[in-house]
Amino acid sequence: MTLVLAEELAAAFRSRRLLRVMVGRELAARNAGAVFGRAWVYGQPLLMLAAYFLLFDVILGARLGDVAPRRGMGVFLIAGMLPWMAFTDAISRAMTSLVDAGSLLQKNPLPPVLFPMRSVLASLTTYGPLMLLLWLAYTPYHRFAWPALALPLLVLVQFALIFVLGYLLAVMVAAMRDVQQFVGFLLAAGLFLTPILFSFEMFPESFRWILWLNPMTPIVLGFQALLLHGMWPVPAAFLALVAWFGMLGLMLAVAVERSHDQLVDWL
Amino acid sequence: MPALKVSNLGKRYQVFGSPRARLRALLTGRQAANNHWALSEVSFELGKGQCLGVIGSNGAGKSTLLKLITGTVRPTTGSVARQGRLSAILELGAGFHPQFSGRDNLYFGGALIGIEREQMSRLVPSILDFAELGEAIDRPVKTYSSGMTVRLAFSLVTAVEPELLIIDEALAVGDQRFQKKCTDRIEAFRKAGCTILFCSHSQYHIRRLCDVALWLDHGRVRAFGGTEHVLSAYETHVRLLEAEAQGPPDAGGPVARPAAAGGRKAAIRALAIADLGDGDPPQLASKDLAVTVRAHVRGGERPNFAVMLEQARGVGITSVTTHYDGAEPRLVGDELWEATVTFHDLPVHSGDYVVSAYLFDSEGIVVYDEWYQHTVFRWVYPARSAGLVSLPHRWS
Repeated sequence: MTLVLAEELAAAFRSRRLLRVMVGRELAARNAGAVFGRAWVYGQPLLMLAAYFLLFDVILGARLGDVAPRRGMGVFLIAGMLPWMAFTDAISRAMTSLVDAGSLLQKNPLPPVLFPMRSVLASLTTYGPLMLLLWLAYTPYHRFAWPALALPLLVLVQFALIFVLGYLLAVMVAAMRDVQQFVGFLLAAGLFLTPILFSFEMFPESFRWILWLNPMTPIVLGFQALLLHGMWPVPAAFLALVAWFGMLGLMLAVAVERSHDQLVDWL
Repeated sequence: MPALKVSNLGKRYQVFGSPRARLRALLTGRQAANNHWALSEVSFELGKGQCLGVIGSNGAGKSTLLKLITGTVRPTTGSVARQGRLSAILELGAGFHPQFSGRDNLYFGGALIGIEREQMSRLVPSILDFAELGEAIDRPVKTYSSGMTVRLAFSLVTAVEPELLIIDEALAVGDQRFQKKCTDRIEAFRKAGCTILFCSHSQYHIRRLCDVALWLDHGRVRAFGGTEHVLSAYETHVRLLEAEAQGPPDAGGPVARPAAAGGRKAAIRALAIADLGDGDPPQLASKDLAVTVRAHVRGGERPNFAVMLEQARGVGITSVTTHYDGAEPRLVGDELWEATVTFHDLPVHSGDYVVSAYLFDSEGIVVYDEWYQHTVFRWVYPARSAGLVSLPHRWS
């Protein structure tokens, strides 16, 4: 199993120069023809964050209870919302990356892994800098305590998780297009099953296990702990992360091996 | 070591009843109930500089073979070993992004086929020169005509001389003049020692270009060897199938042809048979069959002609070409060329016959125009005998 994944990564590494060109082109293509072009790549998520802040913090004046890490809703919300937006953006693009590249893959001998990886790297290029920006903006909260220095690492872990899940979904979408609709629904509903608009502690204790069924819960908890307190996340978050990596990695290895022969024909 | 070695190559497609069954197979690992072998047990070798023509009816596995050799599809059994750079002219222009300029697309398309940025910068002038796009190269590809896109794609794919070139029915690129440029470039590659794999329904082109031929039938090799040997076996097979499938076709009179479009480089203008009498179809009144073909060809190029004689129900009798016979068409007017072929004492037995004419470029590769089964005539052979033709013979 690890062999299959290692082969996929090796194939991507061998084509790294092509991958770079593909990522650059993906970013350019997302806003080709727009007057402000590249600025939209960063402008759009920033405007979304501003809208959330305006609605919850200023207009609704929402304040979290005493159990929450911060009373100000806006500050709390943005720490979880940015990684969530990165997740939905990258997953929805990676999921369709193989199907969208059908004609390209049928005409050129390229490793399929390049396409989900390209989508994920393009999202990392977009959200990575924004996350570092947020890290700097939140200095008053974490004061660069030791754990807070791990944020860049957490960003990489998040995108590694997105890649494994996104590639798996891309193969499944290639097999059956309906998967895309279903995952689209899950992504829309997932916002309410991730501790973003509420804190983990506010969720009824007997139902908290539901939150762990969401691969983004440990990531969001990590962002909140590092950014808002400069503290390590709870040990359960580490465990959940390891479990999710193990399970998704296994499923991806099996899916790649089983679809190996005919993936291109399904596109 | 051969330039291309294909050993025991096979490709099995699992046929799933529905996408749901496909997803279930992905999740559970269950195999599909139905398997379809698109290709099985294909083995052959090609030496450097050889040109292989792949023939076979639709669904015989030709495209699958090309895809397996190109590497876009993975084989179920066997292997492909090849050396050096491979270029494939499969579907030209796939992968171009309509929003980007032709130049941007060149760099990206180049990256896909292994041409790095620096190398591409050096190649761009020659590509632009060949594609003849002019200033359009900096406009988005969405503003291109289909001909322009294909021209750009062909120029890109053939910008670097490959060691192995794969062509899937790609001689129909753009307009006639550009087609000629393309075939000239492919010819130049061939002369420079490039190994070529060429898949076509045009037996004429396979005969003209290839040293060896491979006949695929239902995914298996039916014959492999010298072009003439394989093609004659294939032709016999096709004729038999056609004879089974259809009765005698209608033997109408001359078919009206639309006048050649003004923009074309070359077109047949007339096909005339001397001494045609009355009747439907008209009866040949002479004992010789003399066919004259006239064509308009721009740019001072001396064309070549071919004339094909068939029985009206489709059995081929003979075809003759000026370039194989070393005959030179004569210039009879402003850019008007003409050639006449005469079959003295037409040695075929009584029946209805049909004449086709073809117009080629000076090399005899590009087919500029064809008047297929254009004129039907009736022929009454002076002697009574059975069979098709009267062969030279001697009793003893």
